Amino acid sequence: MNVTTTQSENAAVAAVSGRVDSANAKDFDQELSDIIDAGASRLVVDCGDLSYISSAGLRALLVAIKKTNAAGGGVAMCRVPAHIREVLDVSGFTRLTKVFDTAEEAQASLA
Amino acid sequence: MSGMGPSLETDVKLEETEPRRVVQLFEEFATENGVPAPLVMKFELALDEVLTNVVSYAFPENAPENAEDPAVKVTMRVDGDWVKVRVQDNGPAFDPLHDAQEPDVTLDAEDRPIGGLGIFLARSFVHTLTYERVDGCNRLTLAQPLETPPENASP
Repeated sequence: MNVTTTQSENAAVAAVSGRVDSANAKDFDQELSDIIDAGASRLVVDCGDLSYISSAGLRALLVAIKKTNAAGGGVAMCRVPAHIREVLDVSGFTRLTKVFDTAEEAQASLA
Repeated sequence: MSGMGPSLETDVKLEETEPRRVVQLFEEFATENGVPAPLVMKFELALDEVLTNVVSYAFPENAPENAEDPAVKVTMRVDGDWVKVRVQDNGPAFDPLHDAQEPDVTLDAEDRPIGGLGIFLARSFVHTLTYERVDGCNRLTLAQPLETPPENASP
């Protein structure tokens, strides 16, 4: 798992790659927390290179959603592979965060 | 596990990296034995959730001194038209399918509790998930038919 962050005008974009499971979800949680604690209340999670996510990773995502919502912003997701989209749908996460085809659309939705 | 067909067994240590190792072992085993990739991916998630649960919670830290050493064993098998994986541990009796609370996936973010999704996802991503208590062991069995269900079949 790797998280690459870029800051744009109206949101931070965290591109996560590889596997997020119970062995490294703490690191994922820490990466997202660091971005939010540094002042980003609007966060785009780019899943284009994410190969796998389990409930441990969803837990970190929910923490980020709660924190950014509380700060008046939110989380939007983009480039979500179909098999990961299914995990988000089943677990109810597509009710908690919107999913877009591109990072640009996701950023615009948070503006 | 009874029956014919290729099988593979592995002992699991109580370490947080073990679910990933076993899941990757399953991926190789299932792929070698002709399980279609979309089924492998779903099964993998279900197995990961079940194993993570066992490795994290099956053995309470304040176990009695006379308790047996923790033992977790995973057996995988492709048997006829099914792929099956059994996860067995010798911890105290616990049925996660009955005793764990069902999450409400329709709640808003503010009201969603953190966690509690693992067994729900496992149930959602595999055809059958069963629990038995056998010979002082918890035994969870995941089973998936290799055929696509008729409602999803191409016309």
